[in-house]
Amino acid sequence: MTSDNVLTFEKTSFEEAVVIAKKGTHCGMCRFDFLGSGVCSAGRKHGFLAYWPQGRMEIAKQLDSGRIKPTEALKDIVNSCNFCGFCDKQCNFTTQLRPEKVARALKEYVDGLDESEFQKIPEDDILQGLREIVGEKWATNDPVIISSYTMTIVPRDAELNYYIVMPENTEQVSKIVKFAIKNNIPYQPRSGGTAFSAAAPTVLVKGISLEKGIIIDMYRLKKLEIHPESQTATVGAGITMFELQKEALGHKLRALAAEAGAHVCSNILTTGIISTWGNKYGAMADNFIDLTTVDEEGNIQKHSDWERKNPYSTEPGFTNLTLCPNFILTEAFVKLHPVWDDEKAVLVPFDNIRDAYRLLIKLGKRDVGLSLAVLSRKYLAEFLSPTLQISKDFNYVCKNYLKLNYVVAVVCNKDDKKIVEDMVDYTIDESLMKSLILGAPRFTSLRDSEFMKILSEEDDPLKAIFAGPMRKHLEKALDPSPENVAKVFDEDLQEFFTKVYSKPEMTDIVWLHAFRILPTRMMRQQMFMGPGAAMWTGDEDHYINWIKMFDEMGEKYNLEHTLGFISPLDHGKFAYMEYDYYYDHNNPDECERVSKSLIESMKETLVMGKGLTILNYLFKGIYRKEHVMYPIPEGISEEEEELFDELIDTVLGD
Amino acid sequence: MVKFLSEEWIEIGKNYMLEKLDPEKDLRSITTSLLGVVEHIPPDDITMNFYLELEDGKLKDFIVNTGNTFEEKEAIYEVRGNYGTYKSVLKGEMSLGIAVLKNRLKVKGSKLQALKLIKPLDGVIVALTEITDEFED
Repeated sequence: MTSDNVLTFEKTSFEEAVVIAKKGTHCGMCRFDFLGSGVCSAGRKHGFLAYWPQGRMEIAKQLDSGRIKPTEALKDIVNSCNFCGFCDKQCNFTTQLRPEKVARALKEYVDGLDESEFQKIPEDDILQGLREIVGEKWATNDPVIISSYTMTIVPRDAELNYYIVMPENTEQVSKIVKFAIKNNIPYQPRSGGTAFSAAAPTVLVKGISLEKGIIIDMYRLKKLEIHPESQTATVGAGITMFELQKEALGHKLRALAAEAGAHVCSNILTTGIISTWGNKYGAMADNFIDLTTVDEEGNIQKHSDWERKNPYSTEPGFTNLTLCPNFILTEAFVKLHPVWDDEKAVLVPFDNIRDAYRLLIKLGKRDVGLSLAVLSRKYLAEFLSPTLQISKDFNYVCKNYLKLNYVVAVVCNKDDKKIVEDMVDYTIDESLMKSLILGAPRFTSLRDSEFMKILSEEDDPLKAIFAGPMRKHLEKALDPSPENVAKVFDEDLQEFFTKVYSKPEMTDIVWLHAFRILPTRMMRQQMFMGPGAAMWTGDEDHYINWIKMFDEMGEKYNLEHTLGFISPLDHGKFAYMEYDYYYDHNNPDECERVSKSLIESMKETLVMGKGLTILNYLFKGIYRKEHVMYPIPEGISEEEEELFDELIDTVLGD
Repeated sequence: MVKFLSEEWIEIGKNYMLEKLDPEKDLRSITTSLLGVVEHIPPDDITMNFYLELEDGKLKDFIVNTGNTFEEKEAIYEVRGNYGTYKSVLKGEMSLGIAVLKNRLKVKGSKLQALKLIKPLDGVIVALTEITDEFED
């Protein structure tokens, strides 16, 4: 530290900054205050992605590649950053990156440019029209700002023929759509952008991104009202799950939880919120009471308009594919659920998927618990581990010594906890989970320890560790404490992370399930693609075969792969499964392999039947789950298989 | 090269499809009819449509009209979309399949059957792309 209490820092060259920036995955966690650290003031003030840490990282990449030239707006972008360091704390927690280093290097790069190098971007008629709707500040055609949306709606290789517009309310969205129609310009809304970023390096990019036109950034639709009496909330399209959940919890209420950074409205629209709480709280149209939408002609409608054509039903079958919603969802009136004082988390460890699946479905059918899921070892490792290396070590120890391959994770009241405990031999309780979180760094030293070797020789290592005499030795070996877990972070952030990990919620499994701030660690400097399906649970072998198929596909294409989670729906009649393929988004070969695995596994899932694949799930979240999932789909015929091949070839092939 | 939706476009389009597309190879011997409705045509925001009929892969009819509907014949499929979307498809910027899956073009009729048409219609789209180079701004 210097005498004026400002941290000294090593200077980062622009080249080094680009290396950092390339590892960014647009997880969007820098856009809301999930650690209580504060949130980027420049981003909040200016809105456009370019002013947020993730946008600055993208701009550094784009300047480096020569895709963009400096503009007047670039000066404003770099000068808007006050180097508060909030982004480093947030990003380091999830991805171990340091966006502030990129911001500093970018500023230095820009400061070193000659004034003549900055382009002035003139306003054209379209921009003028958009500015008349939203105000001058909230619409732009600046290529630098546009380029910051690369990977999150703008394809990597697209020409930057776009406008970005940030409406404040539904009426403005309506006017923008009418304006776009009048001028024959394509448009597409963008919320958190994470789904786009996962698909951007793959074959799906053409289908889901905008090729040119008007990007409607929904960030400014920030309405959020909790209605405690009716246990409901009014949520604008710019509100994240974390923001809703936090407000709801203030009233002892909870929303059906998607990932912290997911925008509530877009998540409802996209998949109807796929969540471990779905068996209890519902799925798709169960989530909301009303929606405010803007249709393709710019008309504002509500689902509750009584003369309206039924908005809840949709065509069944595999050809009901949609890569874009029919309308823009600007506001949702969602259901909330009570938070009980006696809520507990209990985890049941398993060495094999079949037994884990059986328990999960039994619990689902009996309506036990609020949140129910099988989580894979890899999921646990990614979530609980503060760094990528620790997650690898955690994974290794669980696999090779503990034989801990899956857990059934249950959040429930105390009565249901007793039911779970009566059904199994042993469980992992909250106290041990706390130790695993705060002691995760010690997994590195446990990797090849005598203790682990002795443990692995037990007949049932899981029982020995979770219900036997070895437990106290494990807890001792983990030496859990906020200070110890904070030590794995960069030195200048350790004090901050000691405070973070001292907060009760950071080791509260119920809170972590509801607020879902940890899943973003799956995007830690790499990307993942999670195909899956909601599958009928009536045929256990069939379900397990689906998992095997995804597993074989991962092997075939030489990808890091694993089951993510399984969670029951509709009283255990269906269970949603996500299978994850991890890939380096900067490696073209891996991107191609993940694309192939995606297409091929999609086809296999259609052939196998009795499930609704993720592609069929896309943009069905506003419909009744009964209309989407029933009748239970049969495997497609040979003729339909041919049609699928042609469709894929026409749609995605070049 | 002609202007989209002009009488000349129809004439040249007919000749091109009859002369250069193989009914079996390029159009898979399909028998179908399609009404393409083009909305929001600048500068006056009008709607036009074109009716296209194929029999055993051979062009039987290709007619352009003003308005939302074509009274003389009932098409099996109706594909409705903005002028800008049709322009993108005919300029080769977006495939017909993507336009349908992105809801830029709305298909009326069986989606399964309509999707089956995408591949055979590739030939028609290529033909129209070849001959069309002028659009309203």
